[in-house]
Amino acid sequence: MKKWLTLLMTLVLVTIMLGACSEESSKGAKVPEGATEVVLWNLFGGGDADYFQEVVDKYNDSQTDIFVNNIMQENAEYYTKLLTSIGAGKGPDVAIAHTHVIPELVSQGLITELDSFTSNWEGFNQNILDATVYDGLHYAIPLDTHAQIMYINNKLVAEAGLLNDDGSIKMEETPEGFIDFFSILKEKLPKDKIPLAFSNNGSDPYWMWWAFYTQMGGEAILTDDIDNPKYALDLDKAIKAADYIKDLYQEHKVIPLNLADFYSDFQTGNAAAMSTGVWATGIWESTDGLDFTPIATPTIFEKEGAWGDSHTLVLPYYNKADQEVQKAAVEFMEFAADNGAIWAKAGHIPSKTTVIESDEFNKLPYRSNYAEVANYVNFADRTIYARGVQDIVIRNLDLLWAGDATAEDVFSTVEKEVKDLIGE
Amino acid sequence: MKKKLWAQDLKAIPFLLPFFIAYLVFTIFPIFKGLEMSLYDWTLIRKLEFVGLDNYQKMLGDPHFWKTLWNTTLFVILTTPAMLILSLVLALLANMKSKFTTFLRGSYFIPSILSVSVISFLAIFMLQPYNGLINTVLHTIGIEAEPFWMADKALAWLTIVIVTLWWSVGFNMILFLAGLQDIPESLYEASEIDGATGWEKFRYITLPQLRPIGKIILLLQILASYKVFAQILLITGGGPGGGTRPIIQYIYEVGFRQNNLGYAAAMSYALFFILLILSVIQLRNQKEER
Repeated sequence: MKKWLTLLMTLVLVTIMLGACSEESSKGAKVPEGATEVVLWNLFGGGDADYFQEVVDKYNDSQTDIFVNNIMQENAEYYTKLLTSIGAGKGPDVAIAHTHVIPELVSQGLITELDSFTSNWEGFNQNILDATVYDGLHYAIPLDTHAQIMYINNKLVAEAGLLNDDGSIKMEETPEGFIDFFSILKEKLPKDKIPLAFSNNGSDPYWMWWAFYTQMGGEAILTDDIDNPKYALDLDKAIKAADYIKDLYQEHKVIPLNLADFYSDFQTGNAAAMSTGVWATGIWESTDGLDFTPIATPTIFEKEGAWGDSHTLVLPYYNKADQEVQKAAVEFMEFAADNGAIWAKAGHIPSKTTVIESDEFNKLPYRSNYAEVANYVNFADRTIYARGVQDIVIRNLDLLWAGDATAEDVFSTVEKEVKDLIGE
Repeated sequence: MKKKLWAQDLKAIPFLLPFFIAYLVFTIFPIFKGLEMSLYDWTLIRKLEFVGLDNYQKMLGDPHFWKTLWNTTLFVILTTPAMLILSLVLALLANMKSKFTTFLRGSYFIPSILSVSVISFLAIFMLQPYNGLINTVLHTIGIEAEPFWMADKALAWLTIVIVTLWWSVGFNMILFLAGLQDIPESLYEASEIDGATGWEKFRYITLPQLRPIGKIILLLQILASYKVFAQILLITGGGPGGGTRPIIQYIYEVGFRQNNLGYAAAMSYALFFILLILSVIQLRNQKEER
C-alpha cells in the first residue's frame, strides 16, 4: 500500500512539474508554425506597454512570415540586464533603447549599425534621427521623442482669468511673465489649489533646468565625444537657470515643496498646471472630467529649448547573428516607426514627419499642440557617461530645490564629481 | 572502525554534496572572482586591463566612499542599541504569562515576514506630507507644522531607523524569547525564597543569563545593518542630496549605473574587511568570556 502511495505521489509531483515547465516554455506568446521568431525586449510600463503591444500586434497580424515576441522587462534594471545579456550573447534580437544610452551601446560594440540592412532614412524628423547617428552610421530607428511639456487645467486657469477665448493661456513668454502667471494663480485660486504641481526632487526639475539652461544658450554638460568627453558646462547659465527654478519653490512659493504625488494632484483637479513628459497626455485623456490642455514648455529665455529623450529600436550585435532574424527585426523596426500614430496615443511625438502629417495622427486631440517640440528638443550629451552624469546632477540639484545649498555650491560639487567620473 | 565512520559521518556526504556544490559555485567562487575583479578595470561587459591596487587607491581618496561609509556607520550606531533594547523589552512582554501572549508574539513578529518593498511602501504612504496618516494625525491634534519626513535629512534618518526597527525587531525578539525560555525556573524560585524583588530578578538573573544570546544578536545586527540598502533606496533613494545614501547603494551605482565593476568590487572588499574585523573582535570577546 505504501509503495502505491509513494508511486502516486511521485506521479502527481512529476505531472505538476511538467505542467509548470510547459507553462514556462509557452510564456510570452506562441510562435506560428513556419514563422521566424524575433525576440523583442521593451522597458515600458503603465499605459505605454499597451500601446506598444498594439504596434507589435498590428505587425504580427499584417503578415505570417515573421513573429515578434514582445517581452516586457522590469524598467529599473532594464539597461543592466540588456547590456549584460547582449554581452553574454543571450540578449534579444531587437530592443528598445533610449537615445542617451546609445553611446554606451555603440562604444561597447553591443549594437549593429543599420545601414547594411536599410537605406530608408527619409521621412524622419532630422533632429531625432541625428541623435542616433555615430561616425556617419545609423545605429537605431527612432520611434518618438518624449519631451517635457506643461499641462494646464482649463477650468482653474479660466477661474483665475488667465485663459483666452481661443483656449490659449495669458502668459507673457518672459522669465517675469512665467512667474507672474503662476503668482496670479496663487493669488486668485482658493488656498487648497496648487498653482504648479511639480516635484522638487528627481528627474522632473532636472529636465526643467536643462530646458531653461538650453533656452539661455547653454549647450552641454560634456563635449560630444563618445569615450573621452571634456567638462563643458556653461557655469553662469547653469547657475542662472537653477536659481530661477529654485525661486519658484523658495521665493515665489508657487510650487509646494515635497508633494507626495504631483501627478495625482493634477489628475484630481487640485492643480492649475503641472509639468512632465508628454506621456502624461494619454493618462489625462482617460481621466473622467479632467479638462486640460497640453502646451510646450514656454520659451521664456533667448531661444527655443526643451528636455527630451527618444525611444529607439536597436539591433544587438552577436558574433554569430542569424541574418534572417536580423532582417526580420529591421523590417519590424521600420514598421513600428511608420505606425507611430498608434504609439502617439500614449502621448509621444512620432519620429517621422510623414506620420505627424498623417490624418491618423492629426485625428488625435492635443498632440499637435506640442508636436513641434520635436524640432528643437535638446537631447543629452552624446557620451558613454550620460547616465552617470544625470545621476550626479540630479542628486546635487535636489539640495538646491530644497533650499539646502546654493547653486554655486551645487555646480562646484557637480564639476568635481563629473570630472572624477570621466577621469578628467 | 571503518564501518562506524561510514555509519556516522560519510553517510551524510551524498546529502551534503548538493548544498556544498551550490555553496562553492554561488558563494566561494564569487568571493575570489570579486577579488580578481577589484584588481582590474572591468565593465559590465568585459574585463579590460589589469590595474593592480589602483581601485583601492582611488577608494581611499574618494569622498563619496567615506561619506557613504559614514552614513552606513551612523545607521549602525542609530539602530543597533535601539534594536537590542526594543527587542528585549518586547521579548519580556511576550514572555509574560497572560492570555495575550500569543497575540503579542504574533503582532510583534508579523512585520518581519513582510517584504522590504511592502514595508517601504507603507512607510512612504503613511509619512507623505499634506495628506499622509502621520501628518494628518499631527494636524488633528493641533500641530500645524508640515514635517517633510523624507526630505529633511534628520527626519529622513529618523524615518529609516523607525521603519527598520519596526520591520526587523520581531526576529530579534524571537531570539531573546528563546533565550528567556532557556533560563531555568529554579533560579527565579530560589531568588524568591531569598526575597528578591522583580527588578533584582531581572538585574541579577535574566540579564546575565541573556548575555550570550544578546551578544549573538549584537553581532548579527551590526553585520545586517552594515549591509543596509533596500529600505533606504526605496524610501529616500539615498536622499536628500545623498544624505542617507549607504555604501551598498554607492557600490551598486558605481557598478551598475556607472559601468565600473572593478571599482565597485574594490569597495565591496573594503566593506567585507570591516565586517570581518568586527566579527573577529566580537568572537574573540565571546571566547575570552567563556
